[in-house]
Amino acid sequence: MKNTKWDDDRLKNWASLVFKVGIAVSLALIVIGFIILIYISGFKDIQPLVRLEQLPAAIVISIGILLLLLTPIIQVIIAIVLFSLARDRLFIIISVAVLCFAAISLALVLI
Amino acid sequence: MILCPITILNEVNFWALGCIGLVAGLLGSMLGVGGGFIIVPILTLALNLPIKVTIASSLVAIVANACTAAGIYTKARLTNIKLGLLLETATIPGAIIGGFAAAFIAPSILSAFVGLALIYAAYTMVTRQHFISADTQPDDHLHLAEPGKISDNLSSSLTDSYYDQNLNKVVTYKVTHIPAGLGTSFFAGILSSLLGIGGGIVNVPVMHMVMGVPMKAAIATSTFIIAITAAAGALIYHYQGHIYPFIIAPLTIGIVIGARIGVELTQKVRGLVLRRIFGVLLFLVAILMFLKTANAL
Repeated sequence: MKNTKWDDDRLKNWASLVFKVGIAVSLALIVIGFIILIYISGFKDIQPLVRLEQLPAAIVISIGILLLLLTPIIQVIIAIVLFSLARDRLFIIISVAVLCFAAISLALVLI
Repeated sequence: MILCPITILNEVNFWALGCIGLVAGLLGSMLGVGGGFIIVPILTLALNLPIKVTIASSLVAIVANACTAAGIYTKARLTNIKLGLLLETATIPGAIIGGFAAAFIAPSILSAFVGLALIYAAYTMVTRQHFISADTQPDDHLHLAEPGKISDNLSSSLTDSYYDQNLNKVVTYKVTHIPAGLGTSFFAGILSSLLGIGGGIVNVPVMHMVMGVPMKAAIATSTFIIAITAAAGALIYHYQGHIYPFIIAPLTIGIVIGARIGVELTQKVRGLVLRRIFGVLLFLVAILMFLKTANAL
């Protein structure tokens, strides 16, 4: 089993990058959606349950929320790739197990 | 579909949601928890949102908080990613079970659970002083692993290090008592989905007190775990139709800003004082949650 400091550093560099990019993109979409909402409704007649004319704003925000929720999952996928490159079998298994549990969670959503 | 008691969201509501997110992100990231322990009671009590909509909104906000903080903590090499992934193998199944259990539990009972969790959190915050003193002797943990145990291989590969600015030295530590940590992480996952809290109030003390992880690394690793666990729980609530984008948008914007400030402040503010003050606050909010449950019965 390879467990070099270099591999750990690479793993942490990628993890930091994924989290930062994920949060930046999803937050940008949520802010854009929020601006669209204010442009359409102007802080008036906005309800928690989305009205038809507010649908574009809701869609953009929802895509941002979905990207946000997928960011940690993407992080796990990248970890599997990096552990594979480092031939760290134990943590390939552990990471795949985490991804499988997350996939089960997603599958339950789609059923 | 559940109808929200708030029929119209006005400018004040949006600012209130943004401020709740800001405070939750600030204090949650500073204390090493997701921030749901602030969002859930305030949204429920002050804005009178249904508990399941509140928990779903809270989980999405927690993911935003955890991803923001994890990005910074990982850059600083504080996060033990391998330990986080290992504990996730127990936490995510707990989150899935908790998410479905929530569909069969009455909101009043959920509120009582939230109250119980908050009392635990308050106790943790107030009594955390001895965790901090242990941080000054992190090298002691390097000699705790017992030879011949199955978990020894795992334990050695989980060994990690980081530069501690306060101690002005590189802290190297070895992870111990892995089975106990896995069992408790499963419980933390159930709490995450069932109550809308991130599970950090369980994970941080377990990693630090049971598994021998220094406090700063435990907080950072807990943040990494929370991001994955809360995302799994939030997707369940999404499926059940409790995600309201117009409530989540201002909450998320606020929490991301708060989390960035919180992580920066963690390096400058004395954590012990904040934790004790917040422990008292959590205890008061827990009492309010119990009163809400009592009124519903």
